[in-house]
Amino acid sequence: MKLKCSRKPAFPWFGMDIGGTLVKLVYFEPKDITAEEEQEEVENLKSIRRYLTSNTAYGKTGVRDVHLELHNLTICGRTGNLHFIRFPTAAMHRFIQMGRDKHFSSLHTTLCATGGGAYKFENDFRTMADLELLKLDELDCLIQGLLYIDSVSFNGHPECYYFENPSDTQNCIKRPCSLDNLFPMLLVNIGSGVSILAVYAKDDYKRVTGTSLGGGTFLGLCCLLTGCETFEEALEMASKGDSTNVDKLVKDIYGGDYQRFGLQGSAVASSFGHMMSKEKRESISKEDLARATLVTITNNIGSIARMCAVNEKIERVVFVGNFLRINTVSTKLLAYAMDFWSKGQLRALFLEHEGYFGAVGAFLELLKSSDDA
Amino acid sequence: MELNGFHCDAEGCAEEQEEEPKALRLPRSKTDASCSIIATPGADSAAAGGSALREQRVSKSTPAMLRLDSLKKNRPPFPWFGMDIGGTLVKLVYFEPKDITAEEEQEEVESLKSIRRYLTSHTAYGKTGIRDVHLELSDLTLWGRKGNLHFIRFPTHELPAFLQMGRDKHFSSLHTTLCATGGGAFKYEDDFRTMANLQLLKLDELDCLIKGVLYIYSVVSSGPPECYYFEHPTDPERCEQKAYNLENPYPLLLVSIGSGVSILAVYSKDNYKRVTGTSLGGGTFLGLCCLLTGCSTFEEALAMATEGESTCVDKLVRDIYGGDYERFGLPGWAVASSFGSMICKEKRDSVSKEDLARATLVTITNNIGSITRMCALNENIERVVFVGNFLRVNTLSMKLLAYALDYWSKGQLKALFLRHEGYFGAVGALLELPNPS
Repeated sequence: MKLKCSRKPAFPWFGMDIGGTLVKLVYFEPKDITAEEEQEEVENLKSIRRYLTSNTAYGKTGVRDVHLELHNLTICGRTGNLHFIRFPTAAMHRFIQMGRDKHFSSLHTTLCATGGGAYKFENDFRTMADLELLKLDELDCLIQGLLYIDSVSFNGHPECYYFENPSDTQNCIKRPCSLDNLFPMLLVNIGSGVSILAVYAKDDYKRVTGTSLGGGTFLGLCCLLTGCETFEEALEMASKGDSTNVDKLVKDIYGGDYQRFGLQGSAVASSFGHMMSKEKRESISKEDLARATLVTITNNIGSIARMCAVNEKIERVVFVGNFLRINTVSTKLLAYAMDFWSKGQLRALFLEHEGYFGAVGAFLELLKSSDDA
Repeated sequence: MELNGFHCDAEGCAEEQEEEPKALRLPRSKTDASCSIIATPGADSAAAGGSALREQRVSKSTPAMLRLDSLKKNRPPFPWFGMDIGGTLVKLVYFEPKDITAEEEQEEVESLKSIRRYLTSHTAYGKTGIRDVHLELSDLTLWGRKGNLHFIRFPTHELPAFLQMGRDKHFSSLHTTLCATGGGAFKYEDDFRTMANLQLLKLDELDCLIKGVLYIYSVVSSGPPECYYFEHPTDPERCEQKAYNLENPYPLLLVSIGSGVSILAVYSKDNYKRVTGTSLGGGTFLGLCCLLTGCSTFEEALAMATEGESTCVDKLVRDIYGGDYERFGLPGWAVASSFGSMICKEKRDSVSKEDLARATLVTITNNIGSITRMCALNENIERVVFVGNFLRVNTLSMKLLAYALDYWSKGQLKALFLRHEGYFGAVGALLELPNPS
């Protein structure tokens, strides 16, 4: 994917996606700085570069996903590394504060931002740090970012993967795939909430629908039901639990399969359906509840995605978004659900850079724009 | 001994009385689903053999002619029940004949009389059984008999107590078909047999649902209209329930919200398909509410939900965008992430149980609405009928569904509701009584 770089914007090069729960930041670290360039470099620019690249954690909640770093990327005539950083949206004001303290505004760069927060925090950026945002649509950025990363590949490895034998827990294998014939694809973005897009070509897509039962629902419910506080804790608990103690299955109602309509006894008839019984409530663990929450949210998304795929007549369903970060339970469940309920017609695909595509898309917009904002 | 209007030779009956505890000894047809004693003209002769013989011994007195008449008209013996054993509730419909002649009454078996009296003189049974009197259909004519149709429900976990009662009242001696649908008809089939000596005629729940809906709609001619919709559902001042004419119902999207949800596309009385379903149903609402608020019943959960505010529990579009997400037409008040604000400890500490109950209700309801809308779109159907006991005494969800369907479809879709909500499966089962196989 070739970028039309009309003018090289000034460093630093950032792309930002301010979501409902997380802020995703991509930062391009130039590795081809000449001696002269370094000499002329402004102090605060140098300090920003050093701060970002010499740490993998920032404050209490900022994290740099080192394993996702793209090395030796050449873009708009410069070569360097692309870094992927995230922190909770709740820490936004502290971030803006930091921008002010580091005199970011004196660098006169465009700050390309997408996600709802680009709109919500626009004034805060201006008043607190004298920074003007170039606001971009999150779904436009998502698609552009995805196409770009796939085109440059992940340090020589495929960005995209799927699961072979998703229904077989023993033999389920992760396999790379190329998104050669990308289009049409159903793109399911699972963040705090979910958006489902039908993408026909690079510049031709529509938002088919969405659901409010997303990653935020999983985490919110888990915190309430189990007392956990973070996504990692919630996933940890879920990996140890058994949702069948919590859910009412078809066999709990039918005594077996509901053959007439092809519903296996092991299918969930009513999520959390056992929890109306006091006895059952007292017999299950927090881990079971976490698992049931994960399974319920994941299967609901899978079910809706499948309906969209059928309606739009698309066979490839690509799942992205930070709900899937370190979340193999959900990833495999989605792979299984797509395969099983469609009798093999649909295939679930996943991407390594999961929740960062919006930020990448915003970053790309920086390089396309010919004027500073 | 008279069996619901049949004379039988003393020997045969004595035999049966003696052997009562054993498996119901009825003439059986090849399929084990059949258990009716009715000798229908032209019916499977092997099955009807015994009773056909008995038929010949029937005397010519008036009540007997009524019974003969019964047989000729393919009329099943009393009592007439239809049962739908669901994941959470058992729904029972009972036809109480009001045209019983003096002679018929005299000949009526004691157990049958006692059942009729018990059911019709109470509105509550045990601790958990309830007769929904407001749904009773009076002066109904069914298979040539006139009477009232009663609607009774109790929790599925009380089924053992129900079976015990069936045994104590010697229900099996009445030799009637017990038509049952719902998953429990399959799950508890053996228990019916071993605990109460009763054979079930098992029927598919969705077949029964549709039959029941069409039948009830066709017979409700007075009193409140069976089918209705909401005008201005979210405006408390102007919201009105209005009657809807469902005479030409097809095609129809039928959404049954019980413990779980099934969505059917109905093209004609005999042509329908199950489009899809979702496991996030009434059982999820109640289960989650019990966990989150400590409540124990559906009524408590609804009462709490009525008092609460879901907007402090959910993350709305405006919480993320600071306003509308204009590009894709998402208003600021739309929910972006259900329970999304609960990831923050401060917010968790500031919401009430009522807020949580409300958020659970809204989340489940809106999810059903959303999936329904997608199905309606896919199937090209504009009329959506919602049934099932999740909507019982739950105006909140009904109005939410009415509003959501209208809003997100820009007025293309209409949400319709039926008064007899969750009883259609049981009615459909009742209607199968005259068809033993």
